[in-house]
Amino acid sequence: MIDIRGVQKSFKNTVVLRGVNLTVEEGETVALIGSSGSGKSTLLRCINLLETPDHGSITIGDYKFKAHDISRHTKKEVRKRTGMVFQNFGLFENKTALENVTEALIIVQKKKKAEAIEIGRYYLDKVGMINRADYYPIALSGGQKQRVAIARALALNPQIILFDEPTSALDPELVQEVLHVIKQASDEKMTMLIVTHEMDFAREVADKVAFMDEGVVLEAAPPEKLFFHPEHERTKQFIDRYMQRFSYSI
Amino acid sequence: MGKIFDVEFMIEIIPDILKGIPYTMTLAVISFIVGLFIGLIGALIKIYKVPVLRFITGVYVSFFRGTPLIVQILLFYYGIPILLRIINQRFGTSFDVSGVPAMVFMLVAFSVSSGAYLTESIRAAIISVDKGQLESAYSVGMNTTQAMIRIVLPQAVKVALPVFANFFIGLLKDTSLAFAASVTEIMGQAKIEAGRASRFFEAYIDAALIYWAICIIFEFLVVRMERNVRKNERGMEK
Ligand SMILES: Nc1ncnc2c1ncn2[C@@H]1O[C@H](COP(=O)(O)OP(=O)(O)O)[C@@H](O)[C@H]1O
Ligand SMILES: [Mg+2]
Repeated sequence: MIDIRGVQKSFKNTVVLRGVNLTVEEGETVALIGSSGSGKSTLLRCINLLETPDHGSITIGDYKFKAHDISRHTKKEVRKRTGMVFQNFGLFENKTALENVTEALIIVQKKKKAEAIEIGRYYLDKVGMINRADYYPIALSGGQKQRVAIARALALNPQIILFDEPTSALDPELVQEVLHVIKQASDEKMTMLIVTHEMDFAREVADKVAFMDEGVVLEAAPPEKLFFHPEHERTKQFIDRYMQRFSYSI
Repeated sequence: MGKIFDVEFMIEIIPDILKGIPYTMTLAVISFIVGLFIGLIGALIKIYKVPVLRFITGVYVSFFRGTPLIVQILLFYYGIPILLRIINQRFGTSFDVSGVPAMVFMLVAFSVSSGAYLTESIRAAIISVDKGQLESAYSVGMNTTQAMIRIVLPQAVKVALPVFANFFIGLLKDTSLAFAASVTEIMGQAKIEAGRASRFFEAYIDAALIYWAICIIFEFLVVRMERNVRKNERGMEK
């Protein structure tokens, strides 16, 4: 379970997060939606401390930290418990697909190489990438890269995986293969927080959808409620805008 | 002795000039390796904006890139003995300057000078690696040292390899300036041979050919090495 309480973050003069509260229960998939610039990426990055929050506290499973008390040790503990999938894949360019998955198992989790490879191959297989195990990222399509990135996150067995628009950089025909893999992880009760613009996917897969607006989570509810009976006018506007765009694009 | 150009003499002295190769190679290789170390440290200081050290590194790089190598060599050649004398006076030690071979001074000079140039090259190479690589390394739990060693530096090396190769070839040729500090590297040997028979042109032709040959061999090695480093651009292992 992760619990985010009153998280605030500013960059110089711009306030980006104005006190975010959000809970993701264990085994839950939460979709985080909201317009561009509302602070979704910054929130994810504050959770795994790629950015340092200014205020608030975050609990990840059995580990809790406060914004004003973050040390190297905190980062280590937090990153042990979180995985992240980036919009631009972030595969290690100098490592093969398999090495991308095994690298942290060996270097961070100190597993034996043989064991790491076994785990690595298991997860590559899970995302349908076992036949590309020895390929370097440069030889993979965007969808394939993202599936390897997901395997890398899953293999570390974190308490939560954070996805930042995992399909936004993909050609349209490659989106489904990645969503399929994410859905599979969701079905297996991996705890996940997913920033996405794929509303259909959010509706189908998420247990809860959170709407972020101008640096706060305005409301969070099961998809049917949030999409069809939102509490806030802003949420309704956002969703209407999206549904409209969607119907045009057909 | 009436020949305009003495081919026999030119061939005859080749073995003597070749005796300079170990000095040339030692100077080039050791200075390059030490320079890489200094350069890596300098680059990291600049990238991580380490207070105070950052300023010192800036002055160091600026000075050694902004002064001619021959001037630096002479400064080290005359400066180190003076420095040692001052140290002896201050601390009552008794380092013997005359016992230190000129070669050692030159190793120090070339290393320090190389370090300044390589600081900038290495910094540029590290910065050229996508910032996302570091972030995804953090996201899987690596600390900065692990991320640098395992992910960022290997990619930076790939970028820097042609720069390093060019720099090394330049350095190899620049070591010829060490003759000014009476090191008997290729150029120093050539000068001695030339002086003995007053046949300068023949001796310097030999020197030129020897430098050229070494550089050709080295360039051949670089091509092979690059092919190795770039294996991941072919997309598959092996
Ligand atoms: N490193 C940064 N420095 C300054 N401003 C930033 C930085 N990162 C994000 N921002 C600003 O924070 C706001 C929210 O950005 P982001 O979290 O990326 O939004 P979203 O992911 O919802 O599109 C934007 O206005 C963006 O310009
Ligand atoms: Mg974003």
